[in-house]
Amino acid sequence: MTPASIAPKSIAGRLALMFAIATTLVSVLAGVAIFGFQSLELRRHQAEELNARMEIIDAMIRHAGDPKRWPMLGDKLESFTPANGSTRYRVDCPDARFRFAPDDALARARDGVDLIHFDGKRYMTLTRRVPPYLERPEVRLVIATDTAPFDASRRVLGVGVLAVSLVTIALVSLLGWWVARKGLAPVDRLSQRARALNPNDLGLRMPTHDLPTELVGLMTAFNGALDRLQDAYERLASFNADVAHELRTPLGNLIGQTQVALSRPRDAGELEEVLHSNLEELDRLRCIINDMLFMARADQGALAANLETVSLAALTHKTADFLDVLFEDAGVALEVVGDGLVAADASLLGRAVTNLLDNAIRHGVDCKTVRVTIEPQPDGKVCLGVRNRGGPIPEAHLARLFDRFYRLDRAREHSHDVHGLGLAVVKAIVTMHGGAVFARCDEGEVLIGFTLPGGAAPSGDPQEPATRRGQPVQA
Amino acid sequence: MKILIVEDEPKTVAYLRKGLTEQGYSVDFVGDGEDGLHLAQTLDYDAIVLDGMLPGLDGVAMLERLRQTRQTPVIMLTARDSVDDRLRGLGAGADDYLVKPFSFLELLARLQAITRRGRGEATTITVGDLHLDLLARRATRAGRRLNLTAKEFALLAVLGRRQSQIVSKTIITELVWDINFDTNTNVVEVAIKRLRAKIDGMFETKLLHTVRGMGYVLEHRPDGGPE
Repeated sequence: MTPASIAPKSIAGRLALMFAIATTLVSVLAGVAIFGFQSLELRRHQAEELNARMEIIDAMIRHAGDPKRWPMLGDKLESFTPANGSTRYRVDCPDARFRFAPDDALARARDGVDLIHFDGKRYMTLTRRVPPYLERPEVRLVIATDTAPFDASRRVLGVGVLAVSLVTIALVSLLGWWVARKGLAPVDRLSQRARALNPNDLGLRMPTHDLPTELVGLMTAFNGALDRLQDAYERLASFNADVAHELRTPLGNLIGQTQVALSRPRDAGELEEVLHSNLEELDRLRCIINDMLFMARADQGALAANLETVSLAALTHKTADFLDVLFEDAGVALEVVGDGLVAADASLLGRAVTNLLDNAIRHGVDCKTVRVTIEPQPDGKVCLGVRNRGGPIPEAHLARLFDRFYRLDRAREHSHDVHGLGLAVVKAIVTMHGGAVFARCDEGEVLIGFTLPGGAAPSGDPQEPATRRGQPVQA
Repeated sequence: MKILIVEDEPKTVAYLRKGLTEQGYSVDFVGDGEDGLHLAQTLDYDAIVLDGMLPGLDGVAMLERLRQTRQTPVIMLTARDSVDDRLRGLGAGADDYLVKPFSFLELLARLQAITRRGRGEATTITVGDLHLDLLARRATRAGRRLNLTAKEFALLAVLGRRQSQIVSKTIITELVWDINFDTNTNVVEVAIKRLRAKIDGMFETKLLHTVRGMGYVLEHRPDGGPE
């Protein structure tokens, strides 16, 4: 199990856990320190007590050099020794007359302070040598005191410290959880508001006025995302409506004229005429569907394959050669300035340039020349712009020129040649090549075009020019 | 000319069979890849029309197995206009491919291209009193020289080589201008209008006919024909 999965899911739970961990650490440190310090202090206190007794006994023995007086001294020491044996005395001497030795165990005690065990108890001992006096040689004086009372004190202290620590940890954790819940209350409020968001009321936003400052930035960003989603959603909705509309017109024609044709006996010629007309509508449907599928692929992030090195000027000239009759009919000349190399699917890019030039011829106003400018940019990209006299196009429309089924001129809506996807297809193709489209309008001139990453096709082996239909048909 | 259609959609099979039979092809059809592979390996076909998505053995897999023994020309039909599918099909050895929905005229043109490949080409074409000299790039009608631009001559030659056949706008675009993508322009209509003015304008008998929704035919219709 990973640490992340052990941690509780709620922020309040997490904070409470972290408070508990921190408090435990601090309590343990403090408890150990207090306990250790107090133990030392108790030990010191005990040693001091021993020392005080030692001074009294020492004073008694020091000037007792007469063996006749010694039994009396022994009685005195006997009387000092309590019945429970909590304090004991011993005097060792090479001369047996100056000896007091009820417990042999005390002989083990080393000089100075020592701890020894006997009779199932623990004793702290203090041992001192008293110099000879008159007849008495040097004696070794041992005083022992039972440590049980001090150990009991230590135990009580330890239990106390532990209990206080546990209560502190529990209290701090609970309080931490409560504080965190209090602090996170605005998040709960946000959840409730967010639950109210739904597709039927796209304009709904999260209020930011009563939020703590930490959350205002997040909610502003969230509302920004909602704005963009609403925009995309509405575009999609209107796009779906447009698709339905575009498909409905030819479908209506198909159904209507077929029903009319079949409603009474017709001769072969009339029926043939209906089939021809149906075919035209069906072909229109096919074109729309193919373009929609193509753009759906671009939307899904498909990238152009079959890249080859393409000269944009050469591509433009080839396209212009194809559109020659349209240029002539419109009385428009073409001017191509500059050149640049890009790695592209020549067939797809040719389609983009065809649509741009066709668009320029179709929408020019008093236009004598369509000028194509191809400029390598300082950042390595190549820009192709198609400029013609026309417009003016309001700023709001410029941004939408590349939208599907978007038409500036609603009157042309049902023109048979244009289904309103030309510039949308351009955008899809440019996107598939990692480029961007642009549209500008100034002083009676419209400039529409794209920028593509410049440079030759990457691979060393030049690929077959990509033809969309594989083998060419024999001419 | 024997053709095998491997396709599981009954309506598609029905119209392909009818259309191709009427064009003089002898047509066999099967509905799945295993049977298709068996027929293609045991009989001699001039061309195979192969659907990319089939029950059982799929089109690309069938083609790969077929190519181990046979080099019969194959046209793949694919419903998915995806670059990967195309490369996969051509990599597996398809000679050509068409994306559904495709036009019957296009299929016909591609079948002709595949099965006729390598056949010698005539250098002169005669349609009624219209004569084309493909080497000299000269066109005359009733003995009078027609003043055509290079593109107009190319257009007339494309129609002349297929005289009495309907030629679609797509094929004209591809053959005359080497443009192999759908354009939503009316270039072909305008070009045909101009060509028609030059070859039919001053003559009683019209040779260049429009078949609405399909394309154009260059044909001499002695009885006046429907126009």
